[in-house]
Formats: sequence, structure tokens, C-alpha cells
Amino acid sequence: MASELTTESYISHHLTNLTCGKTSEGWTCDPYKVDQMGFWAFHVDSLFWSIGLGALFVFFFRKAISKNTDASVAPKGIQNFVEMSIEFVEDNVQSLFGSVKNTLIAPLALTVFVWILLMNLMDLVPVDFLPVLAGHIAYAVAGESIEWIKGPESFYFKVVPTTDPNITLGMAFGIFLLTIYYSVTVKGLKAFIAELTLHPFGKYLIPVNFVLEMVNFIAKPISLGLRLFGNLYAGEMIFILIALMLFFSSIPIGVLGFGLHLVWALFHILIVALQAFIFMALTIAYLAMAHETEEH
Amino acid sequence: MNINATLLAQAVVMIVFVAICWRYVYPPILSVMKEREKKISDGLEAAKKADDSLEEAKLAFEKELDLAKGEAAEILDKANTRASKIVSDASAKAEAEAEKILSSAATTIENETNKAKEELRQQMSEIIIDTTQKILSSEISEEKHEEILKKAAEEL
Repeated sequence: MASELTTESYISHHLTNLTCGKTSEGWTCDPYKVDQMGFWAFHVDSLFWSIGLGALFVFFFRKAISKNTDASVAPKGIQNFVEMSIEFVEDNVQSLFGSVKNTLIAPLALTVFVWILLMNLMDLVPVDFLPVLAGHIAYAVAGESIEWIKGPESFYFKVVPTTDPNITLGMAFGIFLLTIYYSVTVKGLKAFIAELTLHPFGKYLIPVNFVLEMVNFIAKPISLGLRLFGNLYAGEMIFILIALMLFFSSIPIGVLGFGLHLVWALFHILIVALQAFIFMALTIAYLAMAHETEEH
Repeated sequence: MNINATLLAQAVVMIVFVAICWRYVYPPILSVMKEREKKISDGLEAAKKADDSLEEAKLAFEKELDLAKGEAAEILDKANTRASKIVSDASAKAEAEAEKILSSAATTIENETNKAKEELRQQMSEIIIDTTQKILSSEISEEKHEEILKKAAEEL
């Protein structure tokens, strides 16, 4: 099936997740049975990288500080980086959140920023490197025992979690839940419902108000998740397309491909950091909104 | 690219990581940073205080120095005046003494001279009288003798 390599199969290979779910025959990760899995399927590769990079973040930040807890000793090495990130996040929280005291916001913003940054950075690993490596390892380890791994190519392994809408929307969903939680606890349930129903048109048009405000309310997490996904997906797509230039057996196009790869990777560094920052800033902003009791 | 349970799993994973960061990662780092910040600002303040006190000490030192200089000058002045006074006193005293000695010497000399003159005159007149007597013997009367003596006395 995957023995002949076409541009189409190459692209679709890079855009397919390793999906595991429950079918009528039990749990499987067979890519040909994804359709039978329904909603209760998991993108194992996305979750693997997401959890791995999250753990890396927690591990590094924890380690950086455990070495030097004495405030009179100057920080060095990774601790400098860690403190720099924290200062950066604190500044942003300070500017967007102002005087509201909430100890969760800054750690949340830090986690979101560093985690997304790490996930985005996976985009800079050459597109074929990890999927092919993972395919070969999977084939070597489980090629015999698992019938759907017919070759290294039949094992899908997407590397950049933020190019999976489930991951970005999942994080946006988590933030959405926090927004609701703080809206209810800080403003009170009454004020929160009032905010959703009593304007812009006053109390006589509650249904209209509710529909309008609900769209506004729901659009926030969806746009938050889709913005990150869209940017990274497009970036990944362009990497794949540039990598395709090596398919043509032509040296000039291959060289051009290398050059473009470099240029796009350099430019992508900007997108990687910028999208992580935007996600963080919007997270802080949405939570700040949840803390504001608006007067209309 | 289906939306599936990965979304929920990721939401849960995120909440777990945020909770870990919130409980175990962020506070210790922040507290170390805050502590260091405080230490640095305290250090800066102490340095500023030390600077200020140095300035103050310098001012006090200069003031003391000025005072001491003034005092020294005063003492010197006094000493000078006193010394010159002592010198002038001494010289005045010496002068007076000298004058006194001189004048007493002069008086003594005069007295002596006068005495000597008187004695000399006496002796001379006696010698003269003796001699004249011896020369003239009795040729001269008592009256004339008297007269001559008178004349001689007057002439002397």
C-alpha cells in the first residue's frame, strides 16, 4: 500500500495522526479503522509530544531553581533563562491584569507560553526526521506482532502537536473552563448571567442578547485555538511543500529547496515565538475579562 | 484532523500541568527572585546610606579641620603677641636697668670726681699755703694771709 511514494501520499502521511481508539473489534491504532472509532479516539502522537514537552518544561523549571535557592548567590545558566521567562510573564500579567490578585494567572500564562513555545519549536525539526525514525522503530519493535504495521511508512507519527486542532482547541477549552469558573466565582453567577443576557439591548430582548453574547463568548476560545492551529498548520504545510521539492530529480530545484527551507525556518522562528506569545497574552486577557465587573 | 477525544485529553493534561506549575514550580522560583530583588535593593540602599554617611563624615571632618586650624592660628597669634611682649618687656627692662646703672655710675663718678676735686683742692691749698708760708715765713701778716687765702679760694 505505501510502497510507492507519491506527492499525495507523502503529504497525507505528514498530515495524519497516529490515532488510537475503540472499534467494534476492540482498541486499535490501525489508520484504516479511524472512521469506525468515532469521537472516542486519541491522537497518540500529539498527546505524546504534548505531555513529553510539558513534562520537559516542568522538569527544567523545577531543576533550575532547586540548584540555587539561595537568593544571595547570583543565578547562572538555565536559571537565568527561567527567571527571564518568569519576569517576561510577570510583566505581561502585570500590564494586562493590573491590580487583580490571582496567583493562578501567572503560572498559567507561564505554562501556556513555554509549553506552546516548545510544541511550536518541534516544527523546526526537519519534517521527515522524527516520523521516519518513529516508523522504523515501530516497525522494528512491533512489525511482527501488530498486523497493521506493514512497513515503516504505514506508521503515522505527527511531530508538531500544535498543528493538531485537538491540542490547540483543547488548551483553549481548558482556558474557557477557567474563564467560566472565574466569571462565576469573582462576579457571582447572577452578574455573569446578567452580563450574557442584559446587553447590548436591555432586558426586553433577552433572547437576542443571549444569542449575541453567546457567540461573542464562544468565539473567544475557538478563535484562540484555531489561530494557533492555523498558523502552525500553515507553517508545517509549507515545510512539507518545500521538502517536496526534493522529489523532483533535479539538482537546481533541490538546492533551491534547501535554501527555501532555511529561509522559511528562520522566518518560522518568529511565528513560533509570536504565536506562543499571542496565545499567552490572550489567555491573560480573557481571564482578566473574567475578573472585570463591567458597567454598561 | 478529526476532532475527537484528544481535545478532552489535552484539556485535562493542560489543567494538570498548570496545576503542577502553580503549586510546585512557580512559587519557589518567584520567591527566590523576590528575595534576591529585595536583597539587591537593600544592598543598594545600604550603599547609598554609606555614601551619605561618608559625605557627612567628610563634612564633619572638614568642619573640625577648619576649627582646629582656626584654633591653631589663634594660639599661634597669642604666642606671637606674648613672645613679642616678653621680648619688648625684657628689652625695656634691660634698657631701664642699663640706664639706671649708667646714671648711677655717672653720679658715682661725679661724686667721686667732686670728692677728689675737693680733696685735691684742700690738699693743694694746704700745700700752697705750706709752701708759701715756708717761702714767705712771717713776712705776711695775719690779715694779708687771710686775704691771700680768700683770693686763692675764690680763684680756685
